[in-house]
Amino acid sequence: MFVVADGMGGHDRGDVASRIVVEEFTALAQAGYDPHRGSAVVDEVLARCQARIAEYDQRQRDGGATSFSAGTTAVVALLVEDAGETKWLLANLGDSRIYRFAGEQLEQISVDHSLVQELIESGEITADEATRHPERHVITRALGGFGTADADYFVLPIVAEERLLLCTDGVTGMLADDYIAELLAGSEDPRDAADRVVTAAVRAGGDDNATAVVIDVVGLSATASFDSDEQRSSLEQKLGARP
Amino acid sequence: MTEAEAPETPTASGWRITPGSSYAVLTPAVGLVLPAEIDRSRVASLWQLADGGASFDELLDALLAEGLSTLSAFVVIGAPTDGEPWRVLVRGAAQSVTVHGAEGAHSVDASVATTWVEHTSADVRGVEVTLAGAGAGAGVGVGPVAIEAGLLRVDGLAIGETDEPDETPDTPVATAVPAFEEPEPAPEPELEDDDLGEPTQMWAASAPEPPPAPPTPEPPPAPAFPPPTEPPTEFPSDLDDETAAGGDGSEFAREPAGIPGQQQPPEVTRAVATLKFSGGERVDVDRVVLIGRAPEARRFTASEQPQLVTVKSPMQEISATHVEVRPGSGVDHGSAVVTDMGSTNGTVLIQPGLDPEELKPGIAVQLLPGAVINLGDGVTITVSRPGS
Repeated sequence: MFVVADGMGGHDRGDVASRIVVEEFTALAQAGYDPHRGSAVVDEVLARCQARIAEYDQRQRDGGATSFSAGTTAVVALLVEDAGETKWLLANLGDSRIYRFAGEQLEQISVDHSLVQELIESGEITADEATRHPERHVITRALGGFGTADADYFVLPIVAEERLLLCTDGVTGMLADDYIAELLAGSEDPRDAADRVVTAAVRAGGDDNATAVVIDVVGLSATASFDSDEQRSSLEQKLGARP
Repeated sequence: MTEAEAPETPTASGWRITPGSSYAVLTPAVGLVLPAEIDRSRVASLWQLADGGASFDELLDALLAEGLSTLSAFVVIGAPTDGEPWRVLVRGAAQSVTVHGAEGAHSVDASVATTWVEHTSADVRGVEVTLAGAGAGAGVGVGPVAIEAGLLRVDGLAIGETDEPDETPDTPVATAVPAFEEPEPAPEPELEDDDLGEPTQMWAASAPEPPPAPPTPEPPPAPAFPPPTEPPTEFPSDLDDETAAGGDGSEFAREPAGIPGQQQPPEVTRAVATLKFSGGERVDVDRVVLIGRAPEARRFTASEQPQLVTVKSPMQEISATHVEVRPGSGVDHGSAVVTDMGSTNGTVLIQPGLDPEELKPGIAVQLLPGAVINLGDGVTITVSRPGS
């Protein structure tokens, strides 16, 4: 089980909120969970985090900080059982990201819950413009007093020789996807890879916290090769847009 | 003594409606009556919930989700099931509601309540609702139609025994057949809701017998727009996928249906079809089903986790996530729809009685029972009615 939580700096005590997330998922990992329940497992933990953060907010407000509101993002990766197979269940809430790195290609799996993402989807700006947009750090969904705390879920089959990357916007805001791909391709060991990514992000001038977790699956023998990328490109050709 | 018309009202089951202009969302367990001015997409999403099997409480939550200020009036009737009492909620003065109990009829007056008036009781034999302005020529002569479930426009509604004690419930239904093309001018001025009229005279006035039930096949869900609905035929075409609750992407915070701040209510959907795979598997379509060699589920919420079905593809002809089959919404509500997910080699669909067609990627096509989906590599999927 892997989780990255990015407390919101511009808000009150985001670090407390992100610590709550890490604690709750650690507790889940220790207590164990039913892998057949899928996203419901993560959903429950997120609900507990939400409740704890709300309680924390309330105590602060009672203490006089009238509009106190702690917030944090969360990205989670854990193994579940689905239809007799073990798969990745990924969850995203906020603008931290989950990528899949396969065959030298880095593919963003999660969709950011951010203002600029909404602008991209409505066609007002391009992805490139988003990286320079003044409001690129404004988030539309997160844990904390943010309206809805509905995470997005993804289920992916487990494939040998594929890597998952979980990281905060302190990384993706500083480094281009291509460069991240290079760094991942160049490091056999996943912890090495994560270190290099974070170092590069910090060196690129990030004053935002940069956190990265790289996950490799070991012990799987490669089965028939996968054409998921080919299939996505074929849809892109046919429709003119990625799904 | 009463005509041998189909005894379709064993006390609590079955609604009787008089066509009109207010909305009624009806299932065997719950009836909602809503003013004609209400936003159509709201009615459609309540219908989808109700038809999906939502309970009285779930529907009430969804109805109230946007607050009361946008709801000038409503009636919610929960028929008793499993020993639960009848529950009748009435808001506003747009309608008159009469509850028939063991000791007579009792009218529910909600005109002074700021929220609504509730009447919950086990001692209820029937309930009837008349919309203000009804009977003024609109539906008169086009008498009560019996219906189990549906989304309709009504001027009046009744369930159970709504006549005074010494008559049987079947009699009031014996009025003119809904001839919707031209509503007959009322020959019978005494046609009040709780006045039985003279059934025999009515019978003489119109030849064909009343339809026993809307002409929908019994167990499968009623079509979204059962025949007795009044002309507004623009209703069906307005309901495309965008009216499903859940936002259209142009607003920032996507608001889920349900009470703000709480988890979204679960998608309560019955299976709309069963898929039989050439390999022997059977899968019910009660949520999104993704099929392929190694299918992936992208971007779903906790309450709508798709079902991933892996098929073998020895010649690698089938893509990782090849097709999606899901319950349709809007005009496709009640059927399954299939979408090719951008597969490399494409998907062929053979609808019963038609030539094979290649699915266009990303376009959902409604599936008829008996349709066959061909993914290549010898893998075919036959679509049949749910549970068969």
